[in-house]
Amino acid sequence: MFLQQLVNGLIIGGIYAMIAVGYTMIYGVVQLINFAHGEIYMLGAFFAVTFISFLGLPFYVAFLLAMICCAICGMLLDVVAYRPLRNSPRLAALITAIGMSIFLQNLAMIIWGSRPKPFPHGAVPAYFEKTAVTFGGVNLSWFHLFIFGLTMAMMIGLNLIIKKTRWGKAMRAVAQNKTMAALAGINVNRVITYTFALAGALGGMAGILVSAYYNSLYPTMGYVAGVKAFAAAVLGGIGSVPGAMLGGVVLGVAEALGAGYLSSLYRDGISYAVMIIVIIFIPAGLFGKLIKETKKSM
Amino acid sequence: MKNKRNFLIIGLALCFAIIFGMTTTVMAADTIRIGVASPFTGDLAGYGDNIKAGVSLKLKEINDAGGINGKKVELVWGDDLCAPKEAGTVASKFAADKSIVAVIGHLCSSATLAAMPIYVRAGMPTISPTSTNPTIGDVGKGWFFRNCYTDDFQGKYLAKEVVPKLLGKKKVAIFYENNDYAIGLKDSFVAGAKESGLEVTGAEAYVAKTTDFTPQLTKLLTAKPEAIFLCGYHPEGALIAGQARKLGFDGPLFGADGIDNADYIKIGGEATNNTYCTVPFLAESAGPAGQAFAKSFQETAGRDVDWMSANAYDCLGILADVIAKTGPDRKKIRDGLAAMNSEATGYKGVTGMTFFNEKGDCAKPAFVKMVKDGKFVPAQ
Repeated sequence: MFLQQLVNGLIIGGIYAMIAVGYTMIYGVVQLINFAHGEIYMLGAFFAVTFISFLGLPFYVAFLLAMICCAICGMLLDVVAYRPLRNSPRLAALITAIGMSIFLQNLAMIIWGSRPKPFPHGAVPAYFEKTAVTFGGVNLSWFHLFIFGLTMAMMIGLNLIIKKTRWGKAMRAVAQNKTMAALAGINVNRVITYTFALAGALGGMAGILVSAYYNSLYPTMGYVAGVKAFAAAVLGGIGSVPGAMLGGVVLGVAEALGAGYLSSLYRDGISYAVMIIVIIFIPAGLFGKLIKETKKSM
Repeated sequence: MKNKRNFLIIGLALCFAIIFGMTTTVMAADTIRIGVASPFTGDLAGYGDNIKAGVSLKLKEINDAGGINGKKVELVWGDDLCAPKEAGTVASKFAADKSIVAVIGHLCSSATLAAMPIYVRAGMPTISPTSTNPTIGDVGKGWFFRNCYTDDFQGKYLAKEVVPKLLGKKKVAIFYENNDYAIGLKDSFVAGAKESGLEVTGAEAYVAKTTDFTPQLTKLLTAKPEAIFLCGYHPEGALIAGQARKLGFDGPLFGADGIDNADYIKIGGEATNNTYCTVPFLAESAGPAGQAFAKSFQETAGRDVDWMSANAYDCLGILADVIAKTGPDRKKIRDGLAAMNSEATGYKGVTGMTFFNEKGDCAKPAFVKMVKDGKFVPAQ
C-alpha cells in the first residue's frame, strides 16, 4: 500500500508543482499573488475538451492548442487586468486578481454550464490505460508515466529557460530590479507578459492532465487546486522555482500518505498542517534562504 | 447639484418600488405562489433538473384543469446549490415574500437542515421530495414534511436486504461524503450491518468537490472488500467508480438514492456498470397511476422518469390537495398537512400512499435499480 500511496501522491504532487511554479514565477517578477491562476488551470481543461469534442481534434493536438490558448489567456490577464495597476499599491492588484478569478469562473459557467463534465469518451489514447511497468505490486499505466515525464520535462526545461536563455536572464533581471533592468534596455512589460504566458501554459497543462486522468472537469475546479498549489508555492518559498516544484511534490505526498495512514476526513487538513509546520520552523519556506539568492539567480 | 442628484435617485427608486410593489400585489391576488428550492446550477444541477421536470408537469396538469379553486398556481424557483449557506438565503427570501404560501424543498439534507429554522420562525410549511436525513423532523418543529423515506430505513435496507441477499456479498467498504446526508446514511448502514452480520472492512471519508480519491480507495482496497458503498452524491460517486476500477476493483458498487441520476453514468462511463442503488420510486414497480405518469413524463421531458421527479410531482399534488381544502394560508396549509396522518387521510399519488407521522416523516418502500450496459434498469 505504501508504494501505491506514494505513486498517488507523486501524481497529484506533480500536478500541484506545475500550478505552483506559475504562482512563484509571477510572484518573482511582479510580486503579485495571481489568484486567477487556478482559473487558467480550469480553462486549460475546458479548452482541451472543447477542441476534442467540437473540433474533433486528436488528444495531443488539442493538448498543445489548449496550452497555447492558456498562454494567451495568461498574457491577456496581465495586459488587461494587471498592467494598468503596475504602479498602484500592491493591494489593488491583489484584489483585481481575486476579481479576475471570480470573473473567469463565472464566464466558464456561462459558456460551458456549471455541472461537471466527463473528459470526452475515448479521447485519451487507448494505450494510456494499459500497464507499462509493475513493481512491488503497483501497476503504473502509460498515463502515469506520461504525467511523470511531463513533470520532469517541465522541471528541467524551466530550469534551462531561466538559467541559460537570454529571456531567462531578462526574467531574472526584472525579478531583481525593474528600474535597473529597464535602464539596461530590457522591455520590462514584455518580459512580465511572457512570464504570464509561460505560467499560463504550465497551469493549462496541469488542468488538461487532471481532467483527463480523473475524467472530470467543472468551472469551480480551479479554486481548490489553486489554493493547494499556492500552499505548495509558499511551502517551497514563494518566488523560488525549485521551491515550488519541491513544495508541490511534498504536499501531494503528504496528502496521499495522510489520507492513507492517518484520517481521510482530514486529508486536506493534513496537507495544510504540513505547510504550517514548515512555515513555523522555516518562515521563508523550504528554499527560503535561497529567496534572495533566487531573486538574483532567477 | 448634489441635492438634485439625490432627488433623482430617490425618485427613481420610488418609481421602481411602486412598479414592483404593484406587480407582486396583482400577482398575489389571482395566483397561488409556491416556492421550489433545489440546486438548479452547480455540481448537483442534475438533481434540480429532475425536480423542475417533475413539478412542472404537475403544474401544467393543475393549471390546465383550471387551477386550485379557480386560482392559477405559480412556482417561484430558488437555487440553493445544495449549499447550507445558499439555502439560508433562499429560505429568507421565500419567508419574506408574503405571497409565497408553501415551499417544496429543499433537496439536499444539509440545505434543508440549514433552511428549516428560518421557515419555522416565519411559519412556512415545507414539504421536501428528497431530503432523507432522519434528524430534519426534529429541526422542523411541525413545519416540515417529506414524501420520501428516511436514511434510518434506507441504510438498514441496504445492509439487511440489498447487500447480503441481492448482491450476496459479506465484506463491504464504506466511502462516505462528509455531509449530513451521507453520515446519517453511513451510521444507519453500519447499525444494519451489525444486525445482518455484514463485515465492514473500512470506512473512509471524502470532501465534496474532490477529484482525487485514490489515496482513500487504495486504503479501502487493501482490506479486500467484496463491494464498495458509494455513500454520497452522484458526481463524486461517478469519479470514485472510475478510480476504483482503475485500481483494479471489479466487484459491485452500491449506493442509495443520491446515486440515481443520469449524470452518474454520463460522467462515470463504463466504470459505473454493476452499480446498485436504492430509490423510493421505480416506474416499473409502480401501479397504473405511476405507469401513466412515467409515460407522460417521458413525453414531456424526453427522458426516463427518475425517483426525484416522481416525488416532486407528488409534492405539488399534495400541496394542491391541501390548499384546495384550506385556502392559501401558511398556517392553515401546515395544519392541513399535519392532518394527513393516516392511510384514510393520506394522499394517493404516483409514488404510492403518502401520510405523515408527528415528525412529518412518511413510510415508503424502497426499490433497487442497477446500472447495466450504461443504463439504469430495475435490479429485482
